Amino acid sequence: MQTPETQPSSVIGTAVPRVDGRLKTTGAAMYSSDYSFPGMVYLVPVCSPIAKGRITKLDASAAEKMPGVLRVMYHGHAPVMYRPIPGSDDAFVDETRPPFEDEVIYYSGQFVAAVVAETVEQARAAAETVQVEYASESPNVATDLSDGWGSLADTSHRGDAGKAFAAAPVQIDETYVTPVETHNPIELHASVAVWDGKKFTLYETTQSLLNHQAVMAQFLGVPNENVQIVMKFLGSGFGGKLWPWTHAPLAAATARELNRPVKAVVTRKMMFSNVGHRPRTQQRIRLGATHDGKLVSLQHDYVNHTSMISDYDEGCGEATPYIYSTPNLLLRAAKAQRNIGPPTAMRGPGAVPGLYALESAMDELAIKLKMDPVELRLRNEPEKDESNGKPFSSRHLKECLTTGVEKFGWAKRNPAVGSMRKGDLVLGWGMACASWGAFRMAAQVSVALNNDGTARVSCATQDIGTGTYTIFAQVVSDKTGISVDKVQVVLGDTSLPAGPLSGGSWVTASVVPAIAAASNAAVHTMLGIAASTAGSSFHGRKPDDLAYTAGRIHAKDQPAMQGVPFEDLLKQANIRSAIGNGKSLAASDDPNAQKYSQHSYGAQFVEVTWDPGIARLRVSRVVSVIDVGRVINLGPARNQVQGAIVMGVGMGIFEETRYDPRNGNPINSNFADYVVSTSADAPEIDVTFLNYPDLTLNEYGARGVGEIGLAGIAPAITAAVYHATGVRVRELPVKIENLMMA
Amino acid sequence: MPKQRDPEVLDQNPLDQKKDENGEQPLFGRFSRRSFLSQLGAASIAATTTTLAHAAPTQAPAEAATEKAVPGAVPITLKINGQTHKVMLEPRVTLLDALREQLQMPGTKKGCDHGQCGACTVHVNGRRVNSCLSFAIMHQGDEITTIEGLAQNGELHPVQAAFIEHDGFQCGYCTPGQIMSASALLKEPIGKEDADVREAMAGNICRCGAYTNIVAAVQQVRRTA
Repeated sequence: MQTPETQPSSVIGTAVPRVDGRLKTTGAAMYSSDYSFPGMVYLVPVCSPIAKGRITKLDASAAEKMPGVLRVMYHGHAPVMYRPIPGSDDAFVDETRPPFEDEVIYYSGQFVAAVVAETVEQARAAAETVQVEYASESPNVATDLSDGWGSLADTSHRGDAGKAFAAAPVQIDETYVTPVETHNPIELHASVAVWDGKKFTLYETTQSLLNHQAVMAQFLGVPNENVQIVMKFLGSGFGGKLWPWTHAPLAAATARELNRPVKAVVTRKMMFSNVGHRPRTQQRIRLGATHDGKLVSLQHDYVNHTSMISDYDEGCGEATPYIYSTPNLLLRAAKAQRNIGPPTAMRGPGAVPGLYALESAMDELAIKLKMDPVELRLRNEPEKDESNGKPFSSRHLKECLTTGVEKFGWAKRNPAVGSMRKGDLVLGWGMACASWGAFRMAAQVSVALNNDGTARVSCATQDIGTGTYTIFAQVVSDKTGISVDKVQVVLGDTSLPAGPLSGGSWVTASVVPAIAAASNAAVHTMLGIAASTAGSSFHGRKPDDLAYTAGRIHAKDQPAMQGVPFEDLLKQANIRSAIGNGKSLAASDDPNAQKYSQHSYGAQFVEVTWDPGIARLRVSRVVSVIDVGRVINLGPARNQVQGAIVMGVGMGIFEETRYDPRNGNPINSNFADYVVSTSADAPEIDVTFLNYPDLTLNEYGARGVGEIGLAGIAPAITAAVYHATGVRVRELPVKIENLMMA
Repeated sequence: MPKQRDPEVLDQNPLDQKKDENGEQPLFGRFSRRSFLSQLGAASIAATTTTLAHAAPTQAPAEAATEKAVPGAVPITLKINGQTHKVMLEPRVTLLDALREQLQMPGTKKGCDHGQCGACTVHVNGRRVNSCLSFAIMHQGDEITTIEGLAQNGELHPVQAAFIEHDGFQCGYCTPGQIMSASALLKEPIGKEDADVREAMAGNICRCGAYTNIVAAVQQVRRTA
């Protein structure tokens, strides 16, 4: 660790109320579909009810005659749209096919037409009247992904895992399945597109302003500078809003064609078809161990489904190569195509389903060994990242485990199945480990110290609900002494200095160095202004002889309290703002960061209650111990982990998108049939942060907290279900039917 | 608690105080699509006007000035947040779409349009209602309260303040519905326990999963009420 740890002020690491709290609680925060403009019209898509086949006839004549209808679009009658360049790193999109490009149906829900009308009611009614005939073929939406096993490709290996497995005295060989999960943010994906004759201003639901700009420019065939993306508040995304979906180019192209602002909001039903999902995975885990619980071989094979028009790899082996010590390891991946819309990253992609499989197998191994599952993990703790030989930057998984044991009361666990009771309820206690990568991306930030004593900080990144607005204000406050409530944070607009996308839990780690550098640069600018302003008491002094302390400029040999407030000097100089710019270097371009294996860790302990009398399963209690470096804002960070656990309860016992094998339609495409956790399902949650700074990423040692909390919850639930009932559920979600057969 | 700053308000540039072709000030960065703002009191406009430079299209399309009447629209009078709005709406317009798309009050959110998520919760005569499941025309004569009308004279409702204090949200999109539900719940005959609140708030989905903090916020208000 070459960066010395700085001691930040109390504004870092405590629970600072969100700076956007008032906006969000009064209805004043503007989400993308909240914008309206004069002359705005509404676009409503028509979706395919089949998943495979061709359009043979489309009759829009009735729709075109409906009141208020301005335009019906379909193949051969579409506004101008182009294909984005395939495989582009800075213009990434899962579905590159512009709507209506051909008459082939690739998935259920695909847009086959769209109606534009003066009001949303008119557009909706007209969309219902568009007559489409199809030559339908039998779709492949099979849930068995075994057709992928034949095309497995190595992604990581060491030693000879097959040979070591065959020779291992204790073996586990099981296959685990995770279903399609749909992100389902409460905010529907939406675009409000405004064209001024040259430039597009697009109000989008995006986790990635700059990528969205680049993709939209390519869809529209215009230079980047003619596309401005605005996204001030996002109604969460969970990965589903990382890359643009096809309603966005459709709305923008229509705005250009009609010279009217266009609003397109997808329906909840479309959220299940057109805007991505976590794909189904099938994962075979083979573990070989000695009788004393030392792993000698780990093999992880997985298949995930992808669509007919994309090539998505879920990356289920994200954590597999480094989480445990084993001399022999083989990780292999494959895909299986299905007539389903393109899958995409969902919170903790790869690691979350991957750890469900691996941690379930570890639990099964512990049972076979008659060993405590915590002890099994402790015995396989690696000293370094065995996949690449690098030291861990800051790994405290053992302490997560031992702290969790204490907080949960794990010592009272009787390992015998069904042995623990609470009244009529059977208790099940299970645990699993969590991990997620730690990343730092490039970022640019601008800070201005203003002549009214406030500061402004700006960056083209976005706050997707994680508290990024507040993090910016905290870091500026820490560096300048200006209180958080006087720091204006401006995000969510591509016209600002380039910032990172909100994914991979990396925004905080990425922007901290840039905010700090920009704040320091603004202070440096301020000292120069002080030294060069005629009439200032510092006029003619060298800037190097001056210092800035808590908002005051003073000579280095002078007490800070005798200094002059910076706003007074700015007024004297007739300068509105002292500006500084700063950058963060991507970790991938940082030789020091590259020396380390950087990850976050956690241990999840879960209690379930099983009421055999009424066949009711609940997740009643979760203890989560998380190692994410230094936490910058304790309130939102804890909220993130609590929320991830709530989502994990959904993953464990509720969530699954199911497709009708006859026509490929998602059949539970609404919130009544696709069950997510409600407040009544949320368990009692106890979150602990170990708070060891990881100084290889930034000066505060912050990693990221958005995804790690979801990892490990599902396998801890299935381990607890086994402990309560003796039923090992190897296909999520746990269903009551599984348990009634116990 | 320190005074909260509005990152959008702070984004404003006085030179960008544009008006639309009807001479209307933008409201929360929105231009009114029809002439509803003229029915709002000048004071309420002054209190809520926040200009966003980016919200103003450089050329307002010509169609807006000569907007045609919607066939089938009928005159409807709605009383929202204490103010009377006379509007022309088709009978099939939901209360939610009327608020969001016609009356320029998008604080009430659309999450499912099927009464399954609770994001669109408003008060009708003091009771919580999913505005997506209700036609606007059914509410003539009703007292409708939306999230924009919950705070009084700039003073947050205790539930709003408690949500901020307990960090009862992340992305904030379900929050207007959560707060409208929670503020109506204060008058409902439910039990005292956290579990009672969890059941009574189960119709408001928070996909971010901020339930622990939401329940804490609601319980604090209930204990001090």
